[in-house]
Amino acid sequence: MTALLEITDLSVDYGEGTGSTHAVNHVSFTLEHGEFVGLVGESGSGKSTFGFAVTGLSKPPARIAGGSILLDGVDIASLSTGELREQRHGGVAMVLQSGMNALNPVRSIRNHFVDIFRAHGHVERGDWGSRAAELVGKVELPASVLDRYPGELSGGMRQRVSIALALSLEPKLMVFDEPTTALDVLVQHAVMDTIIELQKKENFTALLISHDLGIVLESAQRVLVMHEGEIVEDAPSRQILERPGDDYTKMLLSHYADPRAEVVELPGFEGRHRAPADAHPPTVSSRTRRKDQKAIVVDHVSKVYPAPRRGESQVTAVDDVSFTLEPGQSLALVGASGSGKSTLAKLITAVEKPSSGSVRFGDLDVGSLRRGQFRRLHRDVQMVFQDPYAALNPLHTVEYTLTRPVVNFTGLKGLDARRRVLELLDTVGLSPVEEFAAKLPHQLSGGQRQRVVIARALASDPQVIIADEPVSMLDVSLRAGVLALLEDLREQWGVSLLYITHDLLSARVVTDNIMVLNGGRVVERGNTAEVLRNPTDEYTIRLLDAIPNPGRQDVA
Amino acid sequence: MTSVTIAPGSAESTAAPAGAPVASGRGRALGYIARKAGLLLLTLWAAITLNFILPRLMPGSPADAALAKLAQNGPVSEATKSAIEAQLGVPTGNILEQYVAYLHQVVTLDFGVSYTFYPQSVSELVSTALPYTLVLVGVVTIIAFVLGTLLGVLAAWKRGTWLDTLPTLAGSFASAFPYFWTALLLLFFAGYVGRLFPTSGAYGPTATPEFTIGFLGDAIYHAALPALTILITSLGGWILGMRNTMISTIGDDYVTFAEANGLKPRTVALRYAARNAILPNLTSFGLALGGVVGGSILVERVFGYPGIGYLLFNAVTNQDYPLMQALFLMITVSVLIANFLVDILYGVLDPRTRR
Repeated sequence: MTALLEITDLSVDYGEGTGSTHAVNHVSFTLEHGEFVGLVGESGSGKSTFGFAVTGLSKPPARIAGGSILLDGVDIASLSTGELREQRHGGVAMVLQSGMNALNPVRSIRNHFVDIFRAHGHVERGDWGSRAAELVGKVELPASVLDRYPGELSGGMRQRVSIALALSLEPKLMVFDEPTTALDVLVQHAVMDTIIELQKKENFTALLISHDLGIVLESAQRVLVMHEGEIVEDAPSRQILERPGDDYTKMLLSHYADPRAEVVELPGFEGRHRAPADAHPPTVSSRTRRKDQKAIVVDHVSKVYPAPRRGESQVTAVDDVSFTLEPGQSLALVGASGSGKSTLAKLITAVEKPSSGSVRFGDLDVGSLRRGQFRRLHRDVQMVFQDPYAALNPLHTVEYTLTRPVVNFTGLKGLDARRRVLELLDTVGLSPVEEFAAKLPHQLSGGQRQRVVIARALASDPQVIIADEPVSMLDVSLRAGVLALLEDLREQWGVSLLYITHDLLSARVVTDNIMVLNGGRVVERGNTAEVLRNPTDEYTIRLLDAIPNPGRQDVA
Repeated sequence: MTSVTIAPGSAESTAAPAGAPVASGRGRALGYIARKAGLLLLTLWAAITLNFILPRLMPGSPADAALAKLAQNGPVSEATKSAIEAQLGVPTGNILEQYVAYLHQVVTLDFGVSYTFYPQSVSELVSTALPYTLVLVGVVTIIAFVLGTLLGVLAAWKRGTWLDTLPTLAGSFASAFPYFWTALLLLFFAGYVGRLFPTSGAYGPTATPEFTIGFLGDAIYHAALPALTILITSLGGWILGMRNTMISTIGDDYVTFAEANGLKPRTVALRYAARNAILPNLTSFGLALGGVVGGSILVERVFGYPGIGYLLFNAVTNQDYPLMQALFLMITVSVLIANFLVDILYGVLDPRTRR
């Protein structure tokens, strides 16, 4: 039996002539019938470009510069547009990265199926309804979703629908391009389980493209590691896990650890073990030059939003939460999306006012601040945002971005302000500082941008930094650096840190204490290492179980 | 009644707000229309009331102006003064009584007598002019929207080919001309030099307005040049608007996914890309429709076309307050009604607004 997919010496370029870049560089491999293969790489590795080439969806400026893609012996590149369209039934199907947006917002789910049946004519008209119901059943959705519009479904349900749509093509090969990336952790886990089960039952060949080695190792039998357009390693999952051959693979693997382990080490955090629960945390004075340090006290705070639409009940985003963030302390706020963690951040930074209870920073009542008084709070409490790509004005240089808060909060001007800006850049490890100061955001990588965002937060010399998922948008290899920076700031400057995340591993390495939120309520709290090692709440346990664990396949 | 419960991993049922019960399709649609109609009535009332208040906030009155004019030729007797006030209908009674009387007039479409075209009533003037404007500007606006949108779809779908560059370039070139300049050019070449079309009026000197084939043909023949002017100047905007929104929807994931699923190119272009791209353009279409009754003053003026725009021009130059007030009210009301219709259209075309 011949291989299902045979890729020989494939190159994909962006643009033509001298200005072109090689996104995929002389890649060769084969996929056998019924295999589940993972393709791992960080952003810019060319994995998505590759996925689009394999499915015949490459669009200019991307262009296949060389090599061949044989599907069942037929070269995809040699097909006409019409033939390519027809082979999509029984050929290659693709599930896109942002499945949330892969459905036409003005078309009902049923019509999505009907469009496919009509285009390929492989289902009798009379069977359309029953076939569509059967397909959504396969992805564990009730038939009633067929009469709904995409906007009425949650992200996880929409991604399930797009999997069912791809499945309706009866494909030999399914390419999943980051199928769960935009989803909440728990949903991510459930959708991946469905994909794995479906692949076993329906017996299609699957190519799973992901940046997350954990997810891939958990589901695939074989893993391809892609780096700068080349496949650097191609081996069975177990071998990758136990005896990785390539340095790049080893680097990726080193960023995975079990947050439940006794000792958790990540690159950049070697030997920086968290103090055990019984030891006294280092006192503030030992860490800082500052004298006047204040705590954030959140006292029985609730936030209730009015009903989004008539006839629906109001939304309680935060429900009677109390905690104290002591100076120099680091506290993790953990929960799935919708658990209220970002609302809490808004309450603490006075973006929103609590419906009841109080938020205090020292003697400042944050909830009762009026317009014009925010500066008093924001001098000491600063935010680091989730998306470094959206948090910087693309038209301003790094220097301008940093000068604004320096001038506004510290009153420094001219040369003094500039000196302070360069000092900030040095603090966040962006050197040579002069060079970085002159750059525009698009000239920086994601990790560098996030460092600029952190530098901006530091400009007012704050006592508290609230970091809302600061590394979730970054590649694994960049995460550790940013986390280590936050940790350094705390140790050297005595800044206290409220670390908001759904990622329990990073919470384990940067925080002393943890609070787990579910539905706006605190369900578990305590010393981070202790809570994660001996979770008692069912929700915490589920969060822990949802973490992609490279070793899970072995256990199962 | 559908309510969704999800089996896989109770995780999703907590994360799925879609599980909330939703009213049945028809009930929801009726509720939507009722809400929009309620909103329409409320804004109508506000507009009518503003139309009542604003002139009363202005210093002086038409009677004062007329008296001041007379006073230039010598003293005005008390009898002349009251005669003029009675003739111009200076309001009597307190403000509330005036308001009630005004509302009654609005409802019965009694806007008084025009100063300029005395003794014709305002409603008579408006009802003669309205059909011409509605048909000329209204039909042309709709044609321009439909044609422009279709060309825009084609341009976006065949991006980079001559089907894209030709209409896009020609459209922006034509719409860069000012209205009246295009009108003058057409008038000069097609009317004066070429003698292809009449140069003014809505019908020939011998025709009488009636519903006969002959008269309609004559009216269309007279409307050709002004219609062409409006079409030429507004078409480009619709082409560009549709082309640009459609190019962005073509880049959307659902279009890529539709292609990945092997849907026919026609389906992808029309039901996926164009269907979504048209939504933002509906808003501009609503505004354009609302502007129809206001007419295109310049075009109607240049072609001496007896529509609302021409009437408005006359009313303003002759300080014909009753006529102006009635016209302004009509323009406001038609903008509101056009917006209401577009809202309903949105509800039909976009399930996300039906909530």
